Amino acid sequence: MAHLDNALETRALTHCYGRKRALDSLTLKIPRTGIHAIVGANGAGKSTLFRVALGFQAPDAGESMLLGSPSHLLTPAHRGRVGYVNDAHTLPSWLRLKSLIAMQRTLYPRWDEAVLSRVLGYFSVSRSARVRELSRGERAGFSLAIALARQPDLLILDEPTLGLDVVAKRAFMEALIHSAQAEDATIIYCSHQMDEIERLADTLIILERGKLANYSAPDDFTERVRLWIADMPFKGPDPASIPGLLQVRRLDGLFHYLVLDQGDDFGNWLKAAGALSIRQQRVNLDQAVSAFLSAGHAAPN
Amino acid sequence: MSRAVPLAIALVPGGPRPIVRQIADQIRLAITTGELEHGERLPSVRALASQLLVNSNTVARAYSDLANEGWLQGQHGQGMFVAGLQGRLSQTERKRRLDEAVAVFVATIVEIDLQPSIALAAVTTALQDLDTRRVA
Repeated sequence: MAHLDNALETRALTHCYGRKRALDSLTLKIPRTGIHAIVGANGAGKSTLFRVALGFQAPDAGESMLLGSPSHLLTPAHRGRVGYVNDAHTLPSWLRLKSLIAMQRTLYPRWDEAVLSRVLGYFSVSRSARVRELSRGERAGFSLAIALARQPDLLILDEPTLGLDVVAKRAFMEALIHSAQAEDATIIYCSHQMDEIERLADTLIILERGKLANYSAPDDFTERVRLWIADMPFKGPDPASIPGLLQVRRLDGLFHYLVLDQGDDFGNWLKAAGALSIRQQRVNLDQAVSAFLSAGHAAPN
Repeated sequence: MSRAVPLAIALVPGGPRPIVRQIADQIRLAITTGELEHGERLPSVRALASQLLVNSNTVARAYSDLANEGWLQGQHGQGMFVAGLQGRLSQTERKRRLDEAVAVFVATIVEIDLQPSIALAAVTTALQDLDTRRVA
């Protein structure tokens, strides 16, 4: 049974493009409220997940529920409760912002003018401008303002800050933080910007080849990964024999091992493998995630 | 309601230290150095989250960690305040120190062979004196 407390729920969701599995029996539950970041290498299935969840695309197998309703049966009323912003920020280019706003106001019963003004305030765009006259950042801000003014219960953002300058990015984050606090909306957000995720997200969801690879708080994930630097004689142990190895690099004759879920015991393991001196270090979210994702790729030499 | 004190916190995002710990560390430091004084009100969770551009749950977690450690004191509906020194000692630590003081006191009473009632009266008077000084 679908749970009303979930913003998005999938069960054994599978979707293929030709022979490639974009979603591979994905089971995922994202609760209501909070900011949830989805991360994955290119082609990990993020955008396909959004398209299936929003009912734009039928999956090959499995189920998807959005705010408690099956994705393929969403009515206009359901859709009115969900906002979706992607990196294209597509809007009719010939329209003036104020005419677009007037149109939106009549379409969405929960439209909130105050939210619109507040979010637009972060971006300083003039309402008499035409869409085509806006910069990329302004267009992103305007898309977000419209999406938030509809007062959605759920807001899905597909790489919203891609290509934005620092000022626009900051404004975007401020608007998001405020909305998560004040309007109590659930935000599902996919991005490659780890510093943003570290600041914004309650949950870090990692997709890998269409499968769920992590679901935890960002800090808890970072805690699982450690960097060990060891002075090893000769070639060092066979990488295939190293427990939890995500990535190994050889710099200045020293071996740098990024490992997952290994306690201090790993130091003993390295000593037993002949390490002369060892140092252990914490990593940041960016290093942890990229090591984790690269472990699934071709083995480094 | 008292005004919140300005709080200068510099975050290093992308560092190996989690943001929640960075916030807690810097508040602890500010209290230790006297930059934040006993009884001062901290910014609200929302205000600090907006200031630092982080999720408000992160700020709320830092505040509650500090409250559990006794550095801050929450007052219902009024926000978070810098706790006094006594707030910073844990319940067990305070009990331990009290027991220690009592043991020393009792040993002295035994040593000088004093009647317990006289000793008790002396302690009571001393504590009452302390109270009047605090009020003044």
